Amino acid sequence: MQNLIAFLTKNFHWFVFLLLELISVVLLFRYNSYQGSVWISSANAIAGKVYEWQSSVEQFFHLTDRAWQLEHRNMELEQRLWRARQQLLELQQDTAVVDSALHSVFDNIQMLSAKVVSNSLNRHDNLLTIDRGSNDGVQPDMGVVCGMGLVGVVYMVSDHYSIVLPVLNSHSRISCAIRGSGYFGYLMWDGKDPTEAYMEDVPRHAQFDKGAWVETSGYSSIFPPGITVGQITDIGNSIDGLSYRLKIKLSVDFGCLRDVSVVTDRSFSERLQLMMAARDSMALAN
Amino acid sequence: MSIDKLRLLLLFVVFVLVQVLLLDRIHLFHCATPLLYVYFVVMFHRGYPRWASMLWGFVMGLTIDMFANTPGVASASMTLVAFIQPSLLELFLPRDAEENIKSSAKTLGTWNFSVLAALLVLTYCLIFFALETFSFFNGLYWLQCAGASALLTFGLIMALESLRR
Repeated sequence: MQNLIAFLTKNFHWFVFLLLELISVVLLFRYNSYQGSVWISSANAIAGKVYEWQSSVEQFFHLTDRAWQLEHRNMELEQRLWRARQQLLELQQDTAVVDSALHSVFDNIQMLSAKVVSNSLNRHDNLLTIDRGSNDGVQPDMGVVCGMGLVGVVYMVSDHYSIVLPVLNSHSRISCAIRGSGYFGYLMWDGKDPTEAYMEDVPRHAQFDKGAWVETSGYSSIFPPGITVGQITDIGNSIDGLSYRLKIKLSVDFGCLRDVSVVTDRSFSERLQLMMAARDSMALAN
Repeated sequence: MSIDKLRLLLLFVVFVLVQVLLLDRIHLFHCATPLLYVYFVVMFHRGYPRWASMLWGFVMGLTIDMFANTPGVASASMTLVAFIQPSLLELFLPRDAEENIKSSAKTLGTWNFSVLAALLVLTYCLIFFALETFSFFNGLYWLQCAGASALLTFGLIMALESLRR
């Protein structure tokens, strides 16, 4: 017995070492599973607060840029709305119908504004933290967007903060479509340039041009359709050669991401389907 | 709580804040990030209980992980570095050194200390980046990141060491 105690005390540091390494390895591997612990992440209260202080200081210095960006975006949207209205007017002469069509789907989508408190660009698996959590109604798998376009999907949630899996993460796969033609594929990042991502699995017979815009497809209940993803800059072949692999210049600059919105509404896909079905049946009836 | 422990705690907080708010933002050539908090472990004096230095290292690593969203990566590497630090320190001690001699350039001599620091930092960076790029293992990229970060960290440590009394 005494020998055993002597052995234990003599080699105590070995046991501590093995125990601590064991804990680390468990953390390392458990986190890779989807429902990892939110406590040992930047969504916990202490880390969240520290990052919040830091970003509030940084935000102050970026206000001018931010205002300019918003103004620019506003102008672009106004223009697009005007063009859409003109096109609809050409098709249907009645302004009341036009206005109701424009408002019907997107009007009721609930968004929750949030601020990015921490962000990274340099890893293979970047994550970002926002200052809204389950107390504000955020749940895992909700979409996150910003004024410039698509950001990512909520991954983990604590009471006051959430971690978002952005496009710039090797595990991120978001369904998207080419604007205008409607051919779809999914968006992936290769872990290198934070301004570029790839759209995979675009069918061979798809027709599109370099410079065409890519947007969310709306086939899942995470994002409403039509949110800008980016612009096609290069057309390549997939590894198996069966489909196209398009290089996309992302419209969101993740380096200076501040204000985002969480899509808290998940019924739009249902509503969209219902509306499409109704429209189809109307067309048949006519 | 003794004044020594309080000092250590203060140092701990300072290292974490400097790393999280400042140094984690630096990515020279897309790979080199100074990981200055290793210095915290390098500084443990001779005769400091091994289990305690390992626990400090582990908690430090875990805190850094918490901020950087990389659970397990820094804590595993910090525990290992804290584990080998006392044995490595023994190799660089001057003859008839005191029982609780400090680990600094002044007591060990600049050359001895810099070799000690370089070895610890290099070990740390190699393991840290090996764990971090686990799923995407790419030998050359790993060596590049580890080497560049180790060099940067080592430079910072030596600069701070020259200021230390």
